[in-house]
Amino acid sequence: MRQNTRIWTGLAAPGAAWLLIFFAVPFYAVACIAFGTIDPIFRDAVPQWNPLQWDFAQAQDVLTSAVNGPLRGVFVRTFVFVFSAMAMCFLIGFPIAYFLARHAGKRRLLLLTLIIMPFWVNYLMRMLSWVNLLSPSGLFSRFMSNFGVNYNWLDGSPITVVLGLVYGYVPFLILPLYATLERLDWRLVEAARDLGATSMQAFRMVTVPMAKAGVAAAAILIALPMFGDYYTNDLLSRSPKTEMLGNQIDYYINNSSQPQRGAILVLMLSVLLLIALSWYLRSTAKIGKEQVR
Amino acid sequence: MERRDFLKTLFATTGGFIITPSLLAACGGTSTTSSGGLVIGTPSAPVTLPINGEAIADGLPEEGGTIEILNWADYTNPEVIADFEKAFGVTVKQSIYDNEDAAIAKLRSGTLKPDLIIGMTDTALARLVAADLLQPLNKTYIDNFGNLITGLQDPYYDGGSQYTVAQFIYGNGIGYRADKIDSADLIAQGYDSMWNPAYKGRLAVPDSYRDTISLALFQAGITDVNTGDAATITAAQENLIRLREATQPKVDILSYQEIPANNRDIAYMWSGDMLLAPWNLPEGVSTDVLGFWYPEQSITANDFLCIPKGSKAPVLAHRFINYLLDNDVAIKNQSYVGYQPALTAVTAEALISIGAIPESLVDAVVDAGRYQSGQRLTSLSPEVDALWNDVWATFTAG
Repeated sequence: MRQNTRIWTGLAAPGAAWLLIFFAVPFYAVACIAFGTIDPIFRDAVPQWNPLQWDFAQAQDVLTSAVNGPLRGVFVRTFVFVFSAMAMCFLIGFPIAYFLARHAGKRRLLLLTLIIMPFWVNYLMRMLSWVNLLSPSGLFSRFMSNFGVNYNWLDGSPITVVLGLVYGYVPFLILPLYATLERLDWRLVEAARDLGATSMQAFRMVTVPMAKAGVAAAAILIALPMFGDYYTNDLLSRSPKTEMLGNQIDYYINNSSQPQRGAILVLMLSVLLLIALSWYLRSTAKIGKEQVR
Repeated sequence: MERRDFLKTLFATTGGFIITPSLLAACGGTSTTSSGGLVIGTPSAPVTLPINGEAIADGLPEEGGTIEILNWADYTNPEVIADFEKAFGVTVKQSIYDNEDAAIAKLRSGTLKPDLIIGMTDTALARLVAADLLQPLNKTYIDNFGNLITGLQDPYYDGGSQYTVAQFIYGNGIGYRADKIDSADLIAQGYDSMWNPAYKGRLAVPDSYRDTISLALFQAGITDVNTGDAATITAAQENLIRLREATQPKVDILSYQEIPANNRDIAYMWSGDMLLAPWNLPEGVSTDVLGFWYPEQSITANDFLCIPKGSKAPVLAHRFINYLLDNDVAIKNQSYVGYQPALTAVTAEALISIGAIPESLVDAVVDAGRYQSGQRLTSLSPEVDALWNDVWATFTAG
């Protein structure tokens, strides 16, 4: 038994070292930049490696702005956009994953490939294509104007940004959902139906609880990148009305003389995502226990 | 020489100002001629930078092989580069930068080792010199130096052009669709046009905090575009928020494409971008649909060419600078880049006569008089810059 433990510890060591070097150390570096200073001449971030000398003045300003100032709107908007996009991803993605898992039969692999195929094209290229299609002189806009719909999709509309997020991330939701649904024990659903449950009741009381872990994993998988996304908004809107947290981070780090503020926003976002991740780990552990029982 | 010693030398030998952050804070942080210990020349207080190192000797032969250029994307006509390669039997290799600060960081760390740098501005110059990254120029290799407009042969940021040679000039103004907005009406509105809700959703400001906040200052009748006065900066912020609420602007640098594509009607933009717009018009659309209003109170600026200290082909780099200052080459370059070479011969009439720009955009051409009378954006101290950054973050936060 002890020998087994040693083997597994040895096997886990490279992965642990990898995480330490490429996650923990950079994360600490971000904190050192966030609570450091800037070079007054070159305006570069000067990290403060000694935590005892960290300066929290900038963090306090950013926190105040997030609670009571202009950043509050950005935080709220980012959450609204991400949760709206997630909801739409589920509305679109769940039926597709369900169909693939239960009813696609022999065509399952072909359909899965067809669904994923457009997403082999680079994300930026796909978004740039949408910019061309949706611009007032673009093909889609001109087509819609034939039906009397003259909507300027690219005038900084929040709807366009949310739809862009949905378009960009929905396949990343379908895949883990499909993987979960495909492995479910469908005999339990049949048993529920035999015991008199309607198909909707069986779905709500059997399928959904069994798929909870996959749903949570899919939600986390798309939410994490969406929270930090800035290029979807950059390409489809570029309006202050749709500014997301990722855009503010991009501005502070790449175009301002206050890169520490960008690092502070990164830390704040990380803390929020860590909370979400903890919820996921807790809920999957709970589901695991329930299933064992 | 340590940076500290170098800065001391700068202080002792220049006519400009050098003010440290603490001194600046003590003065209320309103200086417009210094930036956290950097020497910054302004039109009213020009600087002559100290010579640090020696320029190359006269009459050296050109190096063969390759010359490496650090440049913005699409900022030199590929045909001009090909002609230079043919004329000197060399290969030109380009590295691209999209951010001056990031490029300077890479130059300092040695990640980038170009032979020639194209397109940096005076705010970067102070840092390039402070980091001891540039070599003095030997103008015996630059016969065409006299082609530059007079004001730029001895620029305020580098007296005597010891390290730099000006390349393009431009000014800020309002580009618009002349088929949708009446020119006379736009001129009558002036800067107020950018606050006009009639253009809601079809208006843009540049994704450049200095330029866009300056727009808000000009609209309010303030011409100090380097102000450190907190009350003035706050007023500019409120003005920008009014603009945002009234017109829902786009914040990007794509107006040179979006106006000709008929996706927007009006934008505050750089004149050089507007001169590029005709090339982006759909086929068959007349250039008369494009218009540009050049305000009386505006910003003018220029960029420059300079040679880094570690250049492996300094003679070729001098030759390339000289080549770009040739009148014919400069016009060929303008036809691709859009931006206007800072040469006396490149007048509006000359550009129109050869079809480089349409008559409808004659107002986007910056002449020597306009260049001299324009306001300059100079480097701000870290404290003042932080205030400007806050305004921008508030504006873009929606």
